[in-house]
Amino acid sequence: MKKLIDPKSFTLGLWKENPIFYLMLGLCPTLAVSSSLKDAIGMGVAFIFVLTGSNITISIIRRMVPSHIRIPVFIVVIATFVTIADYSVAAYLPKLHRNLGVYLPLMVVNCIILGRAEAFASKNNIINSALDGLGTGLGFTLAIIAIATLRELPGQGTLLGIKIFGDGYKPFLIMIMPPGAFFVIGFLIALKNSIGDRKKC
Amino acid sequence: MLNEMNLGLIFLSAFIINNILLIRFLGLCSFIGLSTNLKSSASMGMAVIFVAVMASSISWAVYEYLLIPFHLEYLRTAAFILTIASFVQFEEIIIRKKVPALYRAFGIYLPLITVNCAILASAFLGIDYKLSFIQNLVFAFGIASGYCFVIVLFASIRERLATSPIPSIFKGVPIAFILAGLMSLAFLGLKGLFKL
Amino acid sequence: MKKKDIITGLIVIFLVTVLSGYLLAQVYKITRPRIDEQKKQEEQRLYKEIFPEGIEFVEEKEYVSVYDSNKNLLGRIYNVVQPGYGGPIVIKAGFDIEGRVKGVRILEQSETPGLGAKITEKAFLDQFAGKSGNQLYLKKHNKEGTIDAITGATISSKAVSDAIIKIQEKLKSEGTIDTTAGETQKEKEKQK
Repeated sequence: MKKLIDPKSFTLGLWKENPIFYLMLGLCPTLAVSSSLKDAIGMGVAFIFVLTGSNITISIIRRMVPSHIRIPVFIVVIATFVTIADYSVAAYLPKLHRNLGVYLPLMVVNCIILGRAEAFASKNNIINSALDGLGTGLGFTLAIIAIATLRELPGQGTLLGIKIFGDGYKPFLIMIMPPGAFFVIGFLIALKNSIGDRKKC
Repeated sequence: MLNEMNLGLIFLSAFIINNILLIRFLGLCSFIGLSTNLKSSASMGMAVIFVAVMASSISWAVYEYLLIPFHLEYLRTAAFILTIASFVQFEEIIIRKKVPALYRAFGIYLPLITVNCAILASAFLGIDYKLSFIQNLVFAFGIASGYCFVIVLFASIRERLATSPIPSIFKGVPIAFILAGLMSLAFLGLKGLFKL
Repeated sequence: MKKKDIITGLIVIFLVTVLSGYLLAQVYKITRPRIDEQKKQEEQRLYKEIFPEGIEFVEEKEYVSVYDSNKNLLGRIYNVVQPGYGGPIVIKAGFDIEGRVKGVRILEQSETPGLGAKITEKAFLDQFAGKSGNQLYLKKHNKEGTIDAITGATISSKAVSDAIIKIQEKLKSEGTIDTTAGETQKEKEKQK
């Protein structure tokens, strides 16, 4: 019998089943906004909001939605939260909104969010669904922070816009450009492979 | 506003210079997953081109003739994704009935396209750049062709890589990303090739 | 059985959609004024940068007219989207009533960071101020040109130069502003 409040729901999404490094989902926004740590954190927070919100909502209505219509319903719910996030950021953090650009509304097709809705929120109670949303969202955010740090520091010599290496630093420009993103995530996954379990995929 | 982008430039910009996969990072999920097999990559590529062009055009029309007149622009995220999902569903039914061979060729990739960021992105970007209907069509076609081109290229390299000696921690996904990085680098170098 | 399913399905999705639509409309109502306000502030800031003496900025169909406190026309600000090295460059250029460039700002660009992206820097853009006619060309492209291109970013620099010249052509064809280079001399004396 599933516990009422199951802490596992939170921790699973954080490390063991980290969406980016283990499940390889939701890559698009990850690589796109990770050239700046500030933007990455902004994206992460928006993501946590949408994921947790949609998980909770879907968990609430899960018994009222007939199975054959569930995917469109999930999409509408997710789209609603994404739009709320989009306009809230536009209203209160315009600079972030400009930097995130099209990747913010693109969250609506983020495999992670739809995946968690289908795999978890539609089958578990509200509290656990909320925990799952928070955990997975946090896992996503930490992953994107890791990548952003590894890109902004060498690529611009700054972290959160603060110059770390001083004015004389010649930035390793490739890191903040698309190839840099691919290299960083490739090496990080290889790193994870070497640290992690010998589990077969 | 004077919009100086002619159709040829729009296509090239979408196809190579701002390649959806290697420069804009969109459409990656299916990309990494599928590109191990040349055949599935080609199928996906073709499906993407078809859906992108049709869905972008329909979304453009929905935005222009439905959302704007009723001041419902803020519903575009929901509207576009529903349009894409409905379109994919709809034409899956039609293709299954009319051209079953094509349906078998697309396989499971047709429904998978619904969550392909690249398609939704082309709809969004067309609106953001304030493109006309024809410009939007060419733009979507450019994006989708860029996707198809890269995924097929990638798949052929990966199939070859599968038989090469690679350190085990890099096998599979990591080496794929590094490869993507190298291709991205190459595409970056193409910037400015067709300008002025 | 099947028909009942379809009906319940449709009802559910209808309800969900209506509910979401309502929720979104509320969020929109709350955030809209702020978003509009910010957009306006951003635009005003930009216009002020180009025309510091401008008090009133009126948006017309193809440009923004700039007026001073006495409702005298000071000039116009145009928007151009010009193909650059890495993609379209969105440029805002202001011309005063004598047909000389007042100021240039880059809104959007995807040029190479560290090279072409330097077209956004004041050092480059300020070169255009006070000039008109063939002076707006890059030095290397026209005898009368006075603009120094950015080292290693000729294409990006040329794009900006071309865009401004294009606006000038438009002004000329409309016949509203006289753009002979001789004007600069007169203005220099007037300012003294």
